[in-house]
Amino acid sequence: MLSEIAFYGALETGLIYGLVAFGIYLSFRVLDFPDLTVDGSFPLGAAVAAILIIEGWNPWLATGCAVLAGMAAGAVTAILNVKLNILNLLASILTMIALYSVNLRIMGRPNVALLTEETVLTPWYDLGLAFHQVPVVLFTLVAIASLVLLWRFMKSETGLAMRATGANARMARAQGIATGGMIILGVALSNGLVGLAGALFAQSQGAADVTMGVGVIVIGLASLIGGEAVITPSTVVRALLACVIGAIIYRLAIAFALNADVLGLQAQDLNLITAVLVTLAIVLPGIRTKVTSRFTSKKA
Amino acid sequence: MISATDLRLTFGKGTPLENPALQGMSLTVNQGEFVTVIGSNGAGKSTFLNALAGEVMVDSGQIIVDNLDVTRLPTHKRAARVARVFQDPLAGTCENLSIEENLALAIKRGQSRGLTAAVKRQYLGQFRESLATLKLGLENRLGDKMGLLSGGQRQAVSLLMASLTPSSILLLDEHTAALDPKTANFVLELTQQIIEEQKLTALMVTHSMKQALEVGSRTVMLHQGQVVFDIEGKDRDGLEVKDLLGLFEKQRGLQVDDDSLLLG
Repeated sequence: MLSEIAFYGALETGLIYGLVAFGIYLSFRVLDFPDLTVDGSFPLGAAVAAILIIEGWNPWLATGCAVLAGMAAGAVTAILNVKLNILNLLASILTMIALYSVNLRIMGRPNVALLTEETVLTPWYDLGLAFHQVPVVLFTLVAIASLVLLWRFMKSETGLAMRATGANARMARAQGIATGGMIILGVALSNGLVGLAGALFAQSQGAADVTMGVGVIVIGLASLIGGEAVITPSTVVRALLACVIGAIIYRLAIAFALNADVLGLQAQDLNLITAVLVTLAIVLPGIRTKVTSRFTSKKA
Repeated sequence: MISATDLRLTFGKGTPLENPALQGMSLTVNQGEFVTVIGSNGAGKSTFLNALAGEVMVDSGQIIVDNLDVTRLPTHKRAARVARVFQDPLAGTCENLSIEENLALAIKRGQSRGLTAAVKRQYLGQFRESLATLKLGLENRLGDKMGLLSGGQRQAVSLLMASLTPSSILLLDEHTAALDPKTANFVLELTQQIIEEQKLTALMVTHSMKQALEVGSRTVMLHQGQVVFDIEGKDRDGLEVKDLLGLFEKQRGLQVDDDSLLLG
């Protein structure tokens, strides 16, 4: 079974990946824009926050800049697609590759340690909570705040226009919606959230690393799809809740898999486990309907 | 007033599939007119409508909508003046948004959109009232997903959406063609009712000569990307499909070989 520390650790990273899943929900689900920029904008957020914190900036201000950097990266991808007519998936891969160099430039080296610096978490350690509970409390608040803001946005005039853009672009244009602008705004917001996640991840793990973005897209997708399997995303709130809950379940599943000695799995098996979990999350709901339909047809 | 002057558009220019869709198409529609547009396949009906809406850009010519030259404006910048109902009942609405959200999108057609709630309480009364005129019971289903509605119901809602805010012209692109005859009739009657009540200026493309003569105040026939004839008033009253065909043959010395035009 899981130790308490491993359990809280899974919650902590789960909440951070919940933010990534929000971003992926925006691009993949709302805008129908398969965006791989996140593999670059996650370490970008981490790099920007880490460097600014080392420079002595207020950690929240540094985190805010990480969000802006993520938004800029997303905007680049969307502009490549909208203005230069590059296929969306390819545009995001181009930005992702470019960001690898950008991130190295920002940090000046492959990784930056933050262990001795003041981070957004520092003041919370004085509240009398156990050491491993602090990030969970703070990140829960951040996740709830992001969820509420995103939900309100989706229900706003602009948010509705964005949802229409992804669902039926021709209809959206006929209603006077500048669909290109909506895609740029949406992908920027999406990557802003991922930048935020990267900044918080660096501060909770005590380092930013240029390779920390590898596979973030798959983890985010795993969270999104897994969450949707648990909570049917029939409304915006349910879809957003599915993102966070899916991310937490995913991290808990990983923690269990790595802790269960019977399975004999080790840390290096992480990516393999992720791929298997994503495949199961995609395939299982389909099998479930097939099985139920078989049963109902027998009854009939 | 809408005026299209000498519109020309060739698809796939310089390729073996070169297709001259509009070849000097000119048409002026006055305020309050309800024009039906007829023509065989490939006559340029849909292209003309798409050109007016901004979905395709013409190679040359000029489109003026209420004194504004919109020739080079993209669709979304014309939307304040141009309302539209598509042929495909699924195209005019968003199936994964609720009925009230679809209407809320339409009530802001062509206007700027902010960060206030999209579905405002003050809209709901108006939404219920206009939905009630459809007599489909949709006024009690505001929160239902659009995807739960049938094609006919969705087309009726599309019509409402197009008439929720004022426009200079309403474009109807064979909007009853994909419906079963009974539903098509219902949607057509609804169209006439809305256009009459709100005194809208409308352009309706249809595949049926019968419908083109029965509905509206003026009929225009397109052939090879041009207007071949344009009748209204007394000339049009009492005209039958065979007269229309005669007119067409006389004008062009051509035989109409498109069966669907004759049978529709």
